[in-house]
Amino acid sequence: MLRKCIFVAIALLMLVPALNVTAQPSGLPVDVPREELFVMDQIFRWSVIDNYNVWGPASGTPHRHALMFETLWYLDQETGNIMSGASNEPPVYNDDYTQMTVTLIDSLKWSDGEAFNADDLVYTVETVWSTPELSFGGWHAQFADFLESVEKVDDHTVTFTLNRPNPRFHKNFEARWAGLYMMPEHAFSQIEDLVNYTYQDGPYLGLYAPVEMDPNGFWNLFKKRDDPQNTAVCQYHMNEDCGPGYVLTILYGDSTKKVIAMTRGELDAFMNVDFEAFESLLASTPTAKSWYPEFPWAYPNETSSRLIRFNFDTHEWTNNKDVRWALALALDIVQMQTEYIGGVAKVVYVNVPYTPKLAELYYNHPRMQEWVENLEIDVAGEPYKPYDATVADRIGEWADEQGYAQPAETAAASYGSGWWKYDTDTAAKLLEHNGYTRDGNGDWYTPEGERFSFSIQAAPDEVDSFRVANAAADMWNDFGIDVELQGLERSVWSANFETGQFETDAPWLSFVLPDGDGWPQMRSYHSKYYVPAPELHNALGGGTPARLVDPVLDELIDAMESLHPQDPQNLELVHQYLQHWVENMYYISTVSFKKFVTWNELYWTNPPSAENDVYMPLYWFQGGRFSIGGLESIGG
Amino acid sequence: MTLLQQFILPRLLQWVIVIVVGITITFLIPRLSPVNPIQQALGRLTQFQALEPEAVLQLREQLMANYGLEGSIVEQYFRFWGNLLGGDLGPSFGAFPQRVNDMIGRALPYTVALLTFTTIMSWIIGIIVGTLAAYYPGRLTNLVAGVMIVVYPVPYFIIAFIFLMAFTYYIPFFPLIGVFRGEPFEAEFIATYLHSTFLPAVTLLITGLSFRFIMARALGTAELSSDHVQYATMAGLPDNRLMYSYVARNTMLPQVTDLGLSMGAIFSGTLITEAVFGYPGLGDLLLQAIYQADYNVVMGITLLSIVGIATASLIVDLSYPLVDPRVRYR
Repeated sequence: MLRKCIFVAIALLMLVPALNVTAQPSGLPVDVPREELFVMDQIFRWSVIDNYNVWGPASGTPHRHALMFETLWYLDQETGNIMSGASNEPPVYNDDYTQMTVTLIDSLKWSDGEAFNADDLVYTVETVWSTPELSFGGWHAQFADFLESVEKVDDHTVTFTLNRPNPRFHKNFEARWAGLYMMPEHAFSQIEDLVNYTYQDGPYLGLYAPVEMDPNGFWNLFKKRDDPQNTAVCQYHMNEDCGPGYVLTILYGDSTKKVIAMTRGELDAFMNVDFEAFESLLASTPTAKSWYPEFPWAYPNETSSRLIRFNFDTHEWTNNKDVRWALALALDIVQMQTEYIGGVAKVVYVNVPYTPKLAELYYNHPRMQEWVENLEIDVAGEPYKPYDATVADRIGEWADEQGYAQPAETAAASYGSGWWKYDTDTAAKLLEHNGYTRDGNGDWYTPEGERFSFSIQAAPDEVDSFRVANAAADMWNDFGIDVELQGLERSVWSANFETGQFETDAPWLSFVLPDGDGWPQMRSYHSKYYVPAPELHNALGGGTPARLVDPVLDELIDAMESLHPQDPQNLELVHQYLQHWVENMYYISTVSFKKFVTWNELYWTNPPSAENDVYMPLYWFQGGRFSIGGLESIGG
Repeated sequence: MTLLQQFILPRLLQWVIVIVVGITITFLIPRLSPVNPIQQALGRLTQFQALEPEAVLQLREQLMANYGLEGSIVEQYFRFWGNLLGGDLGPSFGAFPQRVNDMIGRALPYTVALLTFTTIMSWIIGIIVGTLAAYYPGRLTNLVAGVMIVVYPVPYFIIAFIFLMAFTYYIPFFPLIGVFRGEPFEAEFIATYLHSTFLPAVTLLITGLSFRFIMARALGTAELSSDHVQYATMAGLPDNRLMYSYVARNTMLPQVTDLGLSMGAIFSGTLITEAVFGYPGLGDLLLQAIYQADYNVVMGITLLSIVGIATASLIVDLSYPLVDPRVRYR
């Protein structure tokens, strides 16, 4: 009996996969020849199936907006340059920034052959403006706030009239993540209920159209248009038939599964994996590469950076500048960057990522360089210069010791800016000067005689931020402060900072956009948006989790508001803002974002890289369209 | 009349109370959570955008209206019951404007198919092999017992990971995620379904089997040493009759309870399996919903789970007298 059962079970086990070998030779879900198919990592599972209405709240935009949609301009994160979309000329404002005129490219067509023109732009703006349910991106609310009228001047020129000056109105049409997606007026004007329209049949202005989707949301297949020469992306590449014939986005899951998929030849690009998984990929898949062909491999220029944030509202000690500086000086940034981050992210002393453009505007700008090198803080009545310019060089030396081959560029280009000296003696002086005491074991006590202890919260799935928090907690504990690292599920972590339930935490942000403008990112720090915890930090629309109130920052923010982003005076004000921020050590900034955006050049080549750094490799952003359109088949 | 009044009606009343209390708690718990679905949605809809503060406020109001989160918690509670009794679980917050009914309807067949098969198979095989192992101790059965005892304490995610690595990487024979093609019940769908479900099914079967084998063997061994079995053995009853009528049947009460509750729990999904193997069932849906503070989806799945387990308990309770004659209606 038992033998029979075992036999039947084994026979069944053998039969099931054998049945399917013929039906499903690969792990890919589509029957497209691999040499025509580019497979990229889908960054999450679609919960809304077969709905491509990206203007409504149902929208799922990653990948799709790069493949199917078009906006006017793209702000590239690698170069900080504006790249053309449906317009290849910058917007023109009148003198008081109450009118903006846009000129459209005259050679674009929708996928049904209809020409793209000013009617489409006017229709898009008027439709989104008049339909609150089309709320994605906040464009409806932006137009409701600023727009007085939008008018077609001729077939390729549109003028916007604003109800008050706004030198940044064009940002609504300039994609960092996304810009207002153009609607086909000739098709949408026939749709009665646009809010619930699923837009499955086009026409589209982008290079690709969706042809198949997994009903469970794990993958989505897109086919290249029959007339690629009429799209902005192929016109940018000056290639009438640019891009792979088909693109499949597919969600495999965690780092391990993505690496396995790439080694199986079932994934051509992924967004990110952890450092350890990437190393194992390099060992198993020689055709895989990230940004640099050698150490530090990862793409370093996504516009964001890691930091340690204080809550200024609910904990008194955080309001003491000396204590904040003491904490900064008790951190060894080289150890943090190498032992905890693996040496693969650029150091930053303020929350401005060290991209080529932003390094030029900020870190290497003479005004900022001179300021930081001569920066002095007051340590118990004595001036002290905290800046250490040798950090990047020391990280390079560490990499040498590890035996890593490194890029030929300067250490700063690979490893970022200088940082604060690791000087626990000076940190101790700062604390002692403020009444803190230390016992025989080296443990710190507050002026009230209680153990100096606090917590730092971080979300473990945001790996580098968690590692920054981990490193800081370790180093501060070594220094004698009792610091508890709290790893929280991301939604709980964000709920905590939204309601002020934290002392310190490890988020990520940038004070500036890729082109260097600061005001859009800084204005939330204006004290007019301050609300006390536990109210939501953005209860008034602006506001930040730090809940900082500083009249100097208010003045600078107000002054920036009316200036054009590229106005030299705007840059000077951003410099002043950053200098004031650092002098007060409001945040402890640490490293730039890095991502192991990785391409397997088994079937497709010519992805953006350190040697081909004309645009960013962040293919899931709307501007990622350039990296997909620039791919070339290995087969020729 | 006595049977209905004294046995069935109290249990039905208990069933209703469990469900009402369970659903009420399910309604309240997400709202007590610090995670705010409006904030989550704001973050999702405006990521990387530099919005005017006024625009943020306006968007928040719009989302409150969309999600039906306006009004006090009491108003929301009664609105929820009204919708529920009308068969509507409301819109998903994370996948607005999709209805929760549709999302659950899509995921449910996958979970039910996988867990029904693995639960019933592991139950049947576990009982048969476990009872045989108790009745016929020997080298082979001891070997099987040894394997089961080793497998049982290994955490499920370790077993799942080992199978994933073994059969998608070292022997890349199975897909990394569930790949289902064609229309349900078509040959292509069935073939791809079996291919994609093989690894999750085997891992669930192994862990379920080890538990049920150990339980059946232990119960069988205890039953073998009982007086009535000893007496029947001495009376010279045939082996088959001894094993089925005296040993196996007397061990069925806890086994039926296990089966009933396991079947009821099917509607909770199997979170780790679905996450590891990329299987599109209720567990994965629940996980995403928790991340996004998607109250309505969480409530929908929990509602299914509560009703499933309460109903299974009721059925098990009512069926005891049928399974074991020693249990009498009182």
